Amino acid sequence: MATEVTKLKKDSYDCEECVIVPAVDIYETGDEYVLKADMPGVQKEDLDITFEKNQLEINGKVDPSLVDDENIRYREYTLYNYNRRFTVGEGIDSQKIAARLEDGVLTLTLPKSEAVKPRKIEVKSE
Amino acid sequence: MLTTYDLFNDVLSMRNMVDRFFTETPAKRRGADYPYVNIYEKDDTVQVRMIAPGVKVENVDLQLRDNALTVSLKKEDDHKDQPYIRRERQFGEFGKTVRLPYRVNPEKVEAEMRNGLLTVKMVKDEAAKPKKIQIK
Repeated sequence: MATEVTKLKKDSYDCEECVIVPAVDIYETGDEYVLKADMPGVQKEDLDITFEKNQLEINGKVDPSLVDDENIRYREYTLYNYNRRFTVGEGIDSQKIAARLEDGVLTLTLPKSEAVKPRKIEVKSE
Repeated sequence: MLTTYDLFNDVLSMRNMVDRFFTETPAKRRGADYPYVNIYEKDDTVQVRMIAPGVKVENVDLQLRDNALTVSLKKEDDHKDQPYIRRERQFGEFGKTVRLPYRVNPEKVEAEMRNGLLTVKMVKDEAAKPKKIQIK
């Protein structure tokens, strides 16, 4: 039983399809939604962000040199590729989505389309 | 005001508890404390790699004392005064002391911050290497 548990544990750590679901903050301003995700170990070139049919998907490949396990002595974390998906409502101007990666933090800005931006309504006096 | 005991109140609070358990679970849950550390060793070099996304270089403090490396980090809060839809990231000051497998040469410590990972490379101190003792 003990060996089975160890094996199960090992399998769950050694899997190739394992992904990390990054911690994410999303806030809203008048003009846009801003998403911030902690993705340490990912380079700019290895980020893949797609927006299709109201699905926003973030994929980040971890630098393989960081996953090297050969000389490990002590472990508190395991890096896997990152993946997270969001369903985004209508009203995002997908052409203007911008992404920035800084110190392992991804910042995505999703501008609202003109139709849903808050508007000031002029009151006409007669 | 007097109210009668309502069984459904208890049922509802139970349901809230279960809901909270599933919805407010952080994306990652681990046994070790933040910041997470891995230690790699090869030949006479030892490498400490620490996860530190969003930490600026100027907010990292490294201290070497005997064979202990102390890392202090500050992750600055970037929360805005705006309505949040999701709020999962954490901020604050973190620190950890790791015991190295041997004494290292304090002159040859290399530290680098890249993509939210802090890497400290160290070389074994001459004094810590085995020496052959001549018998007279």
